[in-house]
Amino acid sequence: MAESYSDGRTADDEFQEQFLNDKTLKFAGAAVATLFTLVVGLFIGAIIFTQVDFGLFVEIIYPQFVNAYLLVLGIFLAGSVLSIIAGIFVGLGRVSKTRVTNTVASGYVEFFRGTPLLFQLIVIFFGIPAFWPPGEFPIQNWAIPAAIIGLTLNHAAYVGEAVRGGINAVPEGQMEAARSLGMSYVQSMREVVLPQAWRNALAAIGNDQVILVKDTSLLTVIAVPELISAFRQINSATFDPWTPILLVAIAYLGITLPLGKVVRYLEARSDWGGDR
Amino acid sequence: MSLLEFDKVDKFFGDTHVLKDVDLNVEEGEVCVIIGPSGSGKSTLLRCANRLEEIQDGEIRLDNQSISDPNADINRLRQRIGMVFQSFNLFPHKTALENVTLAPTKVKGLDESTAEKRAESLLDRVGLSAQSNSYPNQLSGGQQQRVAIARALAMDPRVMLFDEVTSALDPELVGEVLDVMQGLAEEGMTMLVVTHEMGFAREVGDRIVLMADGRVVEDSPPEVFFENPTTDRGKQFLSKLL
Repeated sequence: MAESYSDGRTADDEFQEQFLNDKTLKFAGAAVATLFTLVVGLFIGAIIFTQVDFGLFVEIIYPQFVNAYLLVLGIFLAGSVLSIIAGIFVGLGRVSKTRVTNTVASGYVEFFRGTPLLFQLIVIFFGIPAFWPPGEFPIQNWAIPAAIIGLTLNHAAYVGEAVRGGINAVPEGQMEAARSLGMSYVQSMREVVLPQAWRNALAAIGNDQVILVKDTSLLTVIAVPELISAFRQINSATFDPWTPILLVAIAYLGITLPLGKVVRYLEARSDWGGDR
Repeated sequence: MSLLEFDKVDKFFGDTHVLKDVDLNVEEGEVCVIIGPSGSGKSTLLRCANRLEEIQDGEIRLDNQSISDPNADINRLRQRIGMVFQSFNLFPHKTALENVTLAPTKVKGLDESTAEKRAESLLDRVGLSAQSNSYPNQLSGGQQQRVAIARALAMDPRVMLFDEVTSALDPELVGEVLDVMQGLAEEGMTMLVVTHEMGFAREVGDRIVLMADGRVVEDSPPEVFFENPTTDRGKQFLSKLL
C-alpha cells in the first residue's frame, strides 16, 4: 500500500510528478527513437559494407530486377484499378436493401476474406485449367492473368468493406436531399453519396492497396517471375543472400512509398473547403 | 381541386400509429403552417408528401396525380415538390453554386451555362451571390439554409415543403431564413411549413393547422387561431405558448 502524506498525496503521486511528467516522457521518447535509429542504421550499414557485393548488385539490377519490378508494378496497377472498381460494386451490394444483392455481396466478402489469398491463387492457377481437355489450356500464358484475377477478387472484398463503411458514414439526409430533388437512386448514389463515401473510405482503401503490393510476393508460388522469384534465382546461383535482399527491399519500397504519397494527395484534394 | 391533397392518410411506424386519418388540402398560392407539440406527426406528414415516408392507407395527390401510388413516377413528381430540411443537407463536396445546379443538369438535362445563370439569380435572390463559390462548411447555418432553399427552387417546384428549417439555427440567424421564406410567400409560392416560429406563422401563414397525436385538431386562419381558437386543443396549445 502506498504511504499516505498529510496533504492526502501518496507516494505514487510523488513518483509520477518526479519521473512521469510530460518533460521526462518527451525526453524518454526522443531517446528511444534516437537509439532505435542508431541500431537500425548500424545494422543496415554493417550489411551494406560487409555483405553486399556491389559488382553483383550492378550486374543483377538489369535486366532481372528491373523486369521483376516492372512486372510487379504492372500487376499491382491492374489489380489496383480492377479491385477498386469491383470493390465499389461489392460495397454497393453490401448496402443494398434488395435481399438477394445483399446476400450475394456478403457471401462474396465472407469467402474472399475468409480464405487465404494463396489458396485462392492456387484455385485459379491450377483449378481453372482443369476444365479444359489435357494439353489444350495455354498454361504457359496463364500465370499473370491468374495473378491479376486472384488479387482483384481478393482485394475487391476488402475494398468493398471499406466502401460499405464509407457509405454508411454519409448522413442519411444526403440521400434524402438528393432524392427529394427528383434524382434517382443511382444518380443520388453516383453524384452525392459515393463521392463522400470515397473520401471516407480513402485511408482504408489506400491501406489495402499497400497490402496488395506486398501480396504480389505470393505470386512466386504460381511461377510469376516477380521479386521473390528473382531473389530465389540469384540466391541459388550465387549463394549471396544480402545483395538480392537489398534490391528486393528497394523495389517494394519503390512502389509502396509513392503509393502513400498518391493516397495523401487524393485525401488533400477532397478537402472541400477545409474543416475535416 | 386543391393543389396538394391529403386524403384519409394513415401512417404507421411499426405498431405506432403516427398519422390517423389525416385530411388536409393546400390550395394554390397558400401558405399552410403546421404547428403542434413534438411527436404529433407534423414532420412525418411533410415527409409523406414527397414520399420520403410511405403511407399505409389513404392517398396523397399533387395536381390530382397520386404521389402515394406505388406505381407513381416518384422521381418526376418530386421535381414539382421542393423540400428544405432542418439539418440543411447541403452536399458538402459541392460549392453553393454546384449544389443548386446539380439536379437541374442531371434531372432536367439543362446545359451547364443555363443552369449556372439560373443558379446565380437564385443565390442572388436569397442574398448569397457573393458566396456562390464557397463550400457549405465555409458558410454559416443561416447561409447554408438559404442555399438549400435556392437548391429546392432551382427545380421550379409547384409547392415547397419546409421541415422545421430554423430549428437548428443560432437565434440570430433565424431571421434571415424567415425573411427569404416570407419573400417567397409574397411571390405566391404554395408552401407547407412545419415550424415552431409562432411570429412567422401568424404573420405569413394563411392557415394554421394544429396537429396533436397524429390528427389535425384545428385548422383556422391565423387571426382566429391566435386570438380565439375554436377548439379546446387549440386553446390548450396556445396557453402553453404564453
